[in-house]
Order: sequence, then structure tokens, then C-alpha cells
Amino acid sequence: MAEKTLDCYGEACPIPLVKAQKELEGMAVGDVLIVSIDHSCAMKNLPEWARSVGYNVEIEEVAEGEWDVIIEKSK
Amino acid sequence: MDEKKSYPFHELVFKKEWSYTTGAVMLAILSLALVTVTNQAWGVTGPLAVWGGKVLEFVGINADSWKGFNGSIARYDFFTNVPSITDVGIVFGALLATLLAAQFKIKKIKSRKNVYAAIVGGLLMGFGARLSAGCNIGAFFSGLPAFSLHGWVFWIAIFGGAAVGSKLLTKYFM
Repeated sequence: MAEKTLDCYGEACPIPLVKAQKELEGMAVGDVLIVSIDHSCAMKNLPEWARSVGYNVEIEEVAEGEWDVIIEKSK
Repeated sequence: MDEKKSYPFHELVFKKEWSYTTGAVMLAILSLALVTVTNQAWGVTGPLAVWGGKVLEFVGINADSWKGFNGSIARYDFFTNVPSITDVGIVFGALLATLLAAQFKIKKIKSRKNVYAAIVGGLLMGFGARLSAGCNIGAFFSGLPAFSLHGWVFWIAIFGGAAVGSKLLTKYFM
């Protein structure tokens, strides 16, 4: 079970989403991807997409205006 | 982690992102209010062009004599120009919203590529907005409810542009 972090600070939508999609493609089932974002709209479209394809998602507010979106490639 | 008090009202209104439906209803109500009070549809980029013209005038270029401006720089008055006031309102409103949500952050510039992209993108957006006599607000958002054909034309064009733009984005910026 690998864990990877994707630094998307300073990147506007939809770049964090597309980057996360690309990264997850190459990961194995059970792996975890942590996407660090500071663009609030990525906090909406990234979890929405991940949940729609059936992955487990958790959001953690790590600082003011900074979030970790934790995606488990659960299938 | 220290104990946190919960404020459900603040959480719902200021902190959690609104749904697209909530946003759409709010936009409709507020733009209707703007038309009712000022007799003008919402627009954004008109005054931006005049501000650009003012800069040109300041450095000694007589932009006001150009066909596109045609004296509108000299006639311009900030306090009686509705889009100028709403433009400033957008900036302050956005600042207020981000402060109320405790999400204010000065973002780092990540790479030189992002700087060039921002400058080129900004120029293209400004150029396009003036060529089409309005941006996605003035030409599209305010055009549709006025039953104006140009709003629909703008809609079709923006779909095509966005499709090409997102292909370029994934190809060159990932």
C-alpha cells in the first residue's frame, strides 16, 4: 500500500483534478494519493469526481485556505 | 488537536461551498435587483477598457480619438458608471467571502510558465471581451435573460473555445 503526495499549491482549477486523475491511473488498488490544494474550487470538483468513480475520499483543512484531499484507490 | 466549538450557521452559510443551484438562484436574484435599481444589465469589462485607455492617455497617447473609445474616456465618471462600482464590489465581496470563511491565502507563484500563461491568458481574455463587446457576464449572462440572440451565439462559441482550450491545457500544462 503505497502513499503518494501531489503538491498542487498555487494551481488553479481544473489542473489539480487532471493531475490527480493522471496520477491515480498509474497507482495500484489500495494505494493512497494525498493532493495538497489551495484553490477552493478543487475542494469541490476533486472529491466529487473521486467519489463518482467509487474511491474513498477525505478532506482535511491543514491551514487557512489549504487542504489535503486524501483519495484511496479503493477499487 | 484542541477542542473546537461548532457554529452550524456559519459553517453552512460562509464555510461550506454552495451548491451550483444555490449559486444560480443567488445570481438570478442579485442580477434582477441590479437591473431593477440601476436600469442596466450587469457587465464587467466595459470600464476595464476605459481604465486601459486612461493609462494610454496618461503616457501621452490620444486613445480617446480612436474609433473604439470615441470620447468615452473623457466622458467617463467612476461614481456614475454602474459597472465600475460593481467591479470594485466584486473584488471586495470576494475578499469578504474568503475572510469570513477563514480561507484567505496569498498564493505562491509556482513556476515561470504560470506567469507567462497568466499574462497571455489575460491579454487574450481582454482582447476577446472587447471584440465581442462583452465578456461571459455582459454578453452571455446578461444577454440570455434579455432574449437577445447574441447571448446564444456567445454560448455556442464559448463551448467551442472551452473544448479547444481544455485540450491545449491538458497537452501543454500537465
